[in-house]
Amino acid sequence: MDETVAEFIKRTILKIPISEMMTVLKAWNFLPENQLQTINFRQRKESVIQHLLLLCEEKCASINDAALLDIVCTQVHRHKKIWDVFRMSKEPGDDVDLFDMNQFKSSFKKVLQRALKNALTIASKHHEIVKMDLRSRYLDSLKAIAFQQYNQVFEIHNSTLPLQERRLALDSRIIHENRVEKERVQRITQESFGDYPQPQLEFAQYKLETKFKSDVNGGILAERKEPLRCLIKFSSPHLLDALKSLAPAGIADAPLSPLLTCIPKKKMNYFKIRDK
Amino acid sequence: MDSYDAPELTLRQSAFSRPEGICATPLQKRLESVRKQTSSVPTPPRRRIPQCPQVQEDVDPQKVAFLLHKQWTLYSLTPLYKFSYTNLKEYSRLLSAFIVAEKQKGLAVEVGEDLNIKVIFSILLGVKGTQRDPEAFLIQILSKSQFPSENREGKVLWTGWFCCVFGDNLLETVLEDFTCLPLFLANGSESNTAIIRTWFQKTFDCYFSPLAINAFNLSWMAAMWTACKMDHYVAATEFLWSVPCNPQSLNISYAIHPEDAKALWDSVHKTPGEVTQEEVDLFMDCLGSHFHRHFKIHLSATRLVCVSTSVASAHTDGKIKILCHKYLIGVLAYLTELAIFQIE
Repeated sequence: MDETVAEFIKRTILKIPISEMMTVLKAWNFLPENQLQTINFRQRKESVIQHLLLLCEEKCASINDAALLDIVCTQVHRHKKIWDVFRMSKEPGDDVDLFDMNQFKSSFKKVLQRALKNALTIASKHHEIVKMDLRSRYLDSLKAIAFQQYNQVFEIHNSTLPLQERRLALDSRIIHENRVEKERVQRITQESFGDYPQPQLEFAQYKLETKFKSDVNGGILAERKEPLRCLIKFSSPHLLDALKSLAPAGIADAPLSPLLTCIPKKKMNYFKIRDK
Repeated sequence: MDSYDAPELTLRQSAFSRPEGICATPLQKRLESVRKQTSSVPTPPRRRIPQCPQVQEDVDPQKVAFLLHKQWTLYSLTPLYKFSYTNLKEYSRLLSAFIVAEKQKGLAVEVGEDLNIKVIFSILLGVKGTQRDPEAFLIQILSKSQFPSENREGKVLWTGWFCCVFGDNLLETVLEDFTCLPLFLANGSESNTAIIRTWFQKTFDCYFSPLAINAFNLSWMAAMWTACKMDHYVAATEFLWSVPCNPQSLNISYAIHPEDAKALWDSVHKTPGEVTQEEVDLFMDCLGSHFHRHFKIHLSATRLVCVSTSVASAHTDGKIKILCHKYLIGVLAYLTELAIFQIE
């Protein structure tokens, strides 16, 4: 059971006087009668709540169950609130629709979101609010990217080569294959990603609608006018670090595609790409 | 290689000829080397039967519906010694007692686990390729506790089934007293699977081995399943690649609209009625080059771990989900083949 759900249920039950608890719980109909009988309502309220929470945990109460409990409580204590009345009417000539719960829910949510955004914008005296294509669990990184603050920390050491390689390079008897190429890759990677620690993102998503073109596999899909519809998702505990390591590891070319390197600069991790 | 001339199917094992030294692109070179590294058993290059299966005799869609849309963990199984289809009731009883005994020993008890169970062995009619394939059978562990009446079936706790689809052409001569059902699929808790395996190993002197699926075979599956004719698609064709970066792992999910995947396949496919190695390579190459064009990343240098289509999805850890009853037998045929290669 989620912590939030547990807390929600706890706070709801706290509001119910002990004398009414059995009525409410029976009306809720989530815990079976035989379990309710095992609760000692004569003990302290905290203990009753503990016991109830345990039973709810065992039955894996969901947010919906908690919400239902809240509704039941409101019903039982309806006389404790002051209610306003509103009248809704349809335009004359409008169709008489049958009530569709799903449609009602989705419409209600959308309008509520819009209203919330409006309230936020107006109350904070801003002109416009736009949702960015940037999503992550890491709030600090989102902030760093949104405000372009990630490149202000500079690393102190002068060389970009990891310590091991530097040591090896000092021994002139060891010759690195492709040393020139490796150095080129390192330099380009550093130019693309910078010297500083990368902000932490865990995914990037690309919706591609581009035609198939291949020099090597010529002729394949040559006549097809429609693009290939692809959805590509990169995920990693630390995406930018992982991408940064691809070229040096030989898995990607250097320079890496701008579609990937532009993520922090463009402040986006959701992209739609089409042929020009 | 010998040519088998089985009348019911056109499976042929013929020499795969590819001129030496012709590896057109660096991509293809990498594909080649990945294949060599990851095949522990030399898989004979072969042409495949047509992807649309022959008439599926006796497969009642309703009876096998419960096999679909479930994730199955795959194992290969060596032949069963002195297994008899007439003793299924007896086996149910013995296995049931064994399971309860094992759980009471405390070796594999999960919190709140129910020991009031019933085991049912049953034949799965029609889940085979040719008449020579042995009958597939199914085991279910049901919970008895909530439904005291005999007529109501309890909740299914665990399901496992054994089958052999078009296996007889590939198996070596089977001695009497042995039943060959090389493919075992299980759904349910690991602990139950382990107990079932132990009982079978003791009772029929056989051996289970987890069936991993390497990138080479995943590519084949992706190509074959994309090639299947579908009335309507229920899912995109999706690949999951795992990239060995240090220190962070990176996963790349590449999903392509099923109609576009089919169009790509049709453009690649040249030999009517068969799927060849070249076509599979080319198909994967094209997907790789399209990806490389955008991202400059060589997918061939990464590890393919999962493929998913409207027909079925498969994971390298040996997990499969079959989504389309029309191609159930086709999917099982390929898996049977993989199982047999693992045993031999």
